[in-house]
Amino acid sequence: MNKALFGKTAVAGVGVQQFKRGTAPYSERECLVRAIIQACEDAGLDPADVDGFVSYGDDKNEPVRLMSDLGTKELNWTQTVFGGGGGGIAAAFGSAAGAILTGQAKAVIVFRALVQDASGRLSAAVMAHHLNPHMAAAGLVAPAQVCALRAQRLFGYHGVPAETAEAFLQACYYHGSRNPAAVAYGSEFDHDAYMASRMIAEPFHLFDCSRENDGAGALLLVSAEHARDLRRPPVHLLGVTQGAEKGWGDLLENDDADLYASGGFGSVARRLWEQTDLTPTDIDVAQIYENFSAQGVTSLIDHGFCTYESASEFIRFENLIAPSGQLPVNTHGGNTAQGFIHGIGIALEAVQCLRGESANPVPDAKTCLLAGGPGAPIVSSAIFGTAAMV
Amino acid sequence: MIEASPKDLDAPYWAALEQGRLNLPTCKNCGVWHWPPVSRCAECDSWGLDWHDIPLEGEIFSWTRTWHPFGGTEGLEKPFVTVVVAIPAAGNRRLMGLLEGVADTAPVPIGAAVKGRVSHTRYGETEIPTILWHLAARDGDAQ
Repeated sequence: MNKALFGKTAVAGVGVQQFKRGTAPYSERECLVRAIIQACEDAGLDPADVDGFVSYGDDKNEPVRLMSDLGTKELNWTQTVFGGGGGGIAAAFGSAAGAILTGQAKAVIVFRALVQDASGRLSAAVMAHHLNPHMAAAGLVAPAQVCALRAQRLFGYHGVPAETAEAFLQACYYHGSRNPAAVAYGSEFDHDAYMASRMIAEPFHLFDCSRENDGAGALLLVSAEHARDLRRPPVHLLGVTQGAEKGWGDLLENDDADLYASGGFGSVARRLWEQTDLTPTDIDVAQIYENFSAQGVTSLIDHGFCTYESASEFIRFENLIAPSGQLPVNTHGGNTAQGFIHGIGIALEAVQCLRGESANPVPDAKTCLLAGGPGAPIVSSAIFGTAAMV
Repeated sequence: MIEASPKDLDAPYWAALEQGRLNLPTCKNCGVWHWPPVSRCAECDSWGLDWHDIPLEGEIFSWTRTWHPFGGTEGLEKPFVTVVVAIPAAGNRRLMGLLEGVADTAPVPIGAAVKGRVSHTRYGETEIPTILWHLAARDGDAQ
């Protein structure tokens, strides 16, 4: 166990502003400021005392520009995680914890803001990282197509049934349909409608793809000691890892053959279990960044909940839903059914489900896995835990 | 983002493809195939690449058929099939390309032998050389 990290920091407050894509009533920066103020009010911390900021995925909001609105007394630490996709989402908490535990900052906001008229389409921004003439010549211009290539290999070569991807989505929609804050609130998943939804890039139908929202999310990370003095029950960061192993990365589709169909979490997941002394059976609930349905499936496989061979046994609808499934996933609805502000909603739900605030509660949940950005060259994972874990 | 520079490590690949030939590199010292190309071979701690003429023959490693009119694909008729092709003559390093001659509804067999020819894809205002693959079995020349 990495004792320097395990339980030493905690999320003390959360805030979110989410709107349909293209309809945010505020500018991107104002959405972000409002989310940060919410997170501080949630925690009972003066926003002027936030002294650190970290984001991921090319967020364009330089924290120095937020200082006037927040009343920031001292900006002591800022950082962003490399990578254009959502792979930096859990890593951002690791950076924040590093800053807090080494005394570089005391109260750090982890954030992501995305409003279309400020930042354009997310898919285009992500692709700008990777696009090169090799891809363009082959007609590969969008993340959906690259993830589709991986999914075809997963289904067509490794023999994982496509039904696992549908079961994953079905669980997301089941939770989203019961969450008043979700884009899919009130709309049940329908197999026929799924199959009838238009084809994007085989094997992905429209319903297999996350669709972007406008908005911003913010989470306040402080030391565990500090969190105990604040308003809300602390949700502790137990462990976090990021990166890529040899044979994975931005390699013109030349990732090692046995890694190609994976989410890229090989070394990241292995080190997360080592770092925390936890195993998949210790995880009560999981928030899995599903940019595309098949990548949700590979995230579960990569983290050891099942294998290519046992995927159809584990990744079943009944097994993935709250409260009684073996591993409820995306209890707010996930990127596909709750909403997608570049995945920050996944991190918010990781905290809220452990505070007992989920629209789909998992009774007595003590641990939650957060997995970010499957298929991206850099990915990251974290485990959060309640006070009972530390 | 998309512009090529003569300093790019893959410049010899594009120069050959413009002439209708496939060139891929090995380490000048230990001979291991590198794709994408590297400046330094981490297998043997040496610098520099040798480029080789490779026949346009491979095996389908994965594929997707794109139906959505993504911006940037205006030069391609929908749907089109993108393939990742492993090149046995180059240590099974893989290339991205397009598959021609398959019906819009036909599944594409992973592992199938393909042969290629060099063409161009229009991307914005530019024409990028690309490999159009076809199933070798269609010609009755699969081994």
